[in-house]
Amino acid sequence: MPGMNSGLNPADPTLVAAFRSALLHQGAIALAVVVFLLLLRATMRAFRGGPAGNQGWLEWSRTLTGGSGEAPARTVLRIGFGLLWVLDGFLQAQPRMAGGLAAQVIEPTASSSPSWVQHVVNWGGTIWSYHPIQAGAASVWIQVGIGAWLLVAVRGPMSRLAGVASLGWGLIVWVFGESFGGIFAPGLTFLFGAPGAVLFYAVAGALIALQDTAWRGPRLGTLLVRGMGLLFAGMAVLQAWPGRGFWQGGADGTLTGMISTMVGTPQPYYLHLIISGASSFTSAHGWAVNLFAVVAMAAIGAGLLTARRGVVRYAVWFGACFCLADWLLVQDLGFLGGLGTDPNSMIPVILLFTAGYLALGPQTAPVTEGVPDTDGMLGVTEVVGATGARGLVTRARGAAASASAQSFAAVSAIAVVLIGAAPMTAAAANRTAADPIIAEAIAGSTVTLDIPAPAFQLTDQDGRPVSLASLHGKVVLLTFLDPVCTTDCPIIGAEFREAGALLGSAGKNVELVAVAANPTYYSTAALRAFDDEEGLGAVPNWRFLTGSLGELRQVWQHYNVTVYNVPAGAMSAHDDLAVVIDGNGTIRQEVSDDPGPGTATTKSSFSALLAGYARQALAGS
Amino acid sequence: MNRGVLLFAGLAVLLGTTACGSATPRTTATRTVTAANEPLATSLVTAQGVWAIVEMGGPASAEENFWQVFVQHGGTWSLATPPGVADNGGLVAAGSPGSLLIGFRPSQGLVFSPLATSTDGGQHWAPSVLGAALASVPDALATGSSGAELALLRNGDVEVSGAGGSWSRLTSEPALAASSAGRECGVTGVDALSFWPNGLKVVAGACERRGVAGVFTDTNGTWQLDGPSVPGGGQVRVLRLSGSTALLASGSAVYAAWHGSSWTVSGAVAGSPVASGFGSNGSAWVLLGGGRAAVISGPGGTWRPLPAVPTRTAALALAGGETDAFAVAGDTLSVWRLSAGAWTKAQVIHVPIAAGSSS
Repeated sequence: MPGMNSGLNPADPTLVAAFRSALLHQGAIALAVVVFLLLLRATMRAFRGGPAGNQGWLEWSRTLTGGSGEAPARTVLRIGFGLLWVLDGFLQAQPRMAGGLAAQVIEPTASSSPSWVQHVVNWGGTIWSYHPIQAGAASVWIQVGIGAWLLVAVRGPMSRLAGVASLGWGLIVWVFGESFGGIFAPGLTFLFGAPGAVLFYAVAGALIALQDTAWRGPRLGTLLVRGMGLLFAGMAVLQAWPGRGFWQGGADGTLTGMISTMVGTPQPYYLHLIISGASSFTSAHGWAVNLFAVVAMAAIGAGLLTARRGVVRYAVWFGACFCLADWLLVQDLGFLGGLGTDPNSMIPVILLFTAGYLALGPQTAPVTEGVPDTDGMLGVTEVVGATGARGLVTRARGAAASASAQSFAAVSAIAVVLIGAAPMTAAAANRTAADPIIAEAIAGSTVTLDIPAPAFQLTDQDGRPVSLASLHGKVVLLTFLDPVCTTDCPIIGAEFREAGALLGSAGKNVELVAVAANPTYYSTAALRAFDDEEGLGAVPNWRFLTGSLGELRQVWQHYNVTVYNVPAGAMSAHDDLAVVIDGNGTIRQEVSDDPGPGTATTKSSFSALLAGYARQALAGS
Repeated sequence: MNRGVLLFAGLAVLLGTTACGSATPRTTATRTVTAANEPLATSLVTAQGVWAIVEMGGPASAEENFWQVFVQHGGTWSLATPPGVADNGGLVAAGSPGSLLIGFRPSQGLVFSPLATSTDGGQHWAPSVLGAALASVPDALATGSSGAELALLRNGDVEVSGAGGSWSRLTSEPALAASSAGRECGVTGVDALSFWPNGLKVVAGACERRGVAGVFTDTNGTWQLDGPSVPGGGQVRVLRLSGSTALLASGSAVYAAWHGSSWTVSGAVAGSPVASGFGSNGSAWVLLGGGRAAVISGPGGTWRPLPAVPTRTAALALAGGETDAFAVAGDTLSVWRLSAGAWTKAQVIHVPIAAGSSS
């Protein structure tokens, strides 16, 4: 998958520092917004002369856990999945997440799926890979925000909208992060998380988004437990299906292999002991373990499918025990080691069938919301009759003053979501260039200079004389390339070409210049062959310069570039250096243009970095 | 509410992605690897010396293989690999009375073939460039006594050198197949190039027609099928062609053939060559795998099996009546010489391979 893997070390200090900085920056903004909203509400209440003290907050806090008349089943889903989203958000904040998720989680998950799945996933994974900092930070704040939104918005449109958010984001994660939960890949098993943990988040979101009336009778509960029952029954059949390796013990058994991979992840000692024991037991008794799993899932499924409360109660208890055992002994809690981003599927499953069981029973009668809500968004009193500017002020004052504590809390949570989402949205809109931070991570620090560029007088690939003086008035991006290089130089050449394209119309004031850096192959024929190879022949501001070996050596020396032949079939060696020269012939920046892994992401990032430097130099000239 | 839902959905689609799941750390750099897939190890003789080309170093999949050129002067071999280009993709050589031409096959980001010519026995190399990729066969280059050069490209085109280092297309595999001679033979591939001593350009390959080798000569722009006929009645492929000596494969047998006023074809030696090369006066050798090797002395000669060659023998060389075997282990080349029916280690050369320089 071409765009998924940036090839960078996820623990790269530059990436980690930038990720932390983005999280802190956006966290500070989120905090400021929440404080502002609190102050706004307090001010409006004082201005309006509402109840003193914390009466509103206390009333609201009592409703958070069901005191509002919310159906208990809905409360379980809302609080359970709210907490899960918050936990997932915190897991997304792991330092290596920004640089590692696309290559270490998304790509391996998708790699065993069909090509059309890989194609779809690659689309999203490329956005992450190109903008790792924005994507990493966005996922933290979006998930924390959705979680908080679910927790604080108890009832009404705001609460239902939180369900929609959970549904929408859950589906996005399921498709792009989990490759459709791996349902199109071989080896699918409920025990390891099929059909994808986040699909359950999406289902819960859809249920939370339903109208209050949907929760009044047992119909929804019946649908939910039967749906979960069907899932268990179907997964039992899949688990029992012959030829998939689940009946086989030993090291080659599918289940043993899966658990063994979890044994290898870094985790606390006692957990390692437990999962190692489970692995050994499964290896020794693979057939019996699978038989137990099949029978257990079939029994749970059958119990749930009855939709009879007395039977479902036992199915729920047994199902919860089974799921918790699987969570501990097979899924290894889901989020330890590597780049775990959620606690996997068992806790969401427990929440769903528990909610289904509760929904079968008598539901608390809905409490009429205190204030008529005509706009469906903030639960505020509509002030009608006023017109014009005065009317607007009056309406705003009235709306803010009467907004419930719930609404303020929910708006704060939405603000947290948007604070993460906005920079990512802006970055994702730019699919042409990757974030320059990736190139900076590879290149190291850029040296900012203010020294005259050493003069040179060479000829270009077509034999025309070119000197630094002849380029006066234009910004020069200068590098040193070996025309017969097999590794770095073709990549750098392509990066320069792309940098020129990124500059657009500004490119007419920028010269993309390379000096031949091979003591043997520096003829114009070699330069033209390189240009043809990299599609540089048609780039109007591209100049690949050469001269006599003596002239070249002088330029290499003046720019402090070492060039020499390595014996025994190796390529010529030279420093990878890019120099930014402004229109006055002054060196502004020196940066290593060693392309690193040379992936699509790093190439795009270097192009963006070079184009950015050129723009800076243009602005300063 | 609908507007809110739409707003969120639009935002989410723009955002694109996040993920759940677990994974252990894994870092993979993606690079295109182009490696030689035909046996390129060989040896040949020019007026300046005896040359051998072998692959050394580590695995090609990791770009740790480096092809080396060795030259023998006065019975002693020395390293003569031309500098300036990473040769992980393989080397192709063509000798003429006055020079040796080496072509670098493309690898990784390099998609054309630099060339190097030595007229002083490998002490100095003059660089030039073929602006396209050489085919992965040992006789993809040929040099004539007039200084003209032929190059077989990866896409099946045959190019001829002109003035000022330029190259132009002589023919292509489809064009040759469509010619009268090509139809007569049923050309299925082009595998080797040469010049006859009279300067005629020669293109050789495989024919569908049984019992005939696909050797074609260019006579004033017209291709002619030049044979030879090979006993056995099977399909024939030209494995090698150097000067007027050819090695032919038919079924599981290898033949040597020499072009003169008419063709002389040797008897068969059984096996499939893993490497082959040429000595002086039409002599040739084949390395057949499993320690088997055979040599033939020239027109009218018969294949003579050699004693089991030393372990890791990559190529042989026929020089001044001696038969040498090149055994490669990493960066060490051991030269074994056949003496009184047994192999004796004659020389060890440690090559300063720059491991990691191409990765």
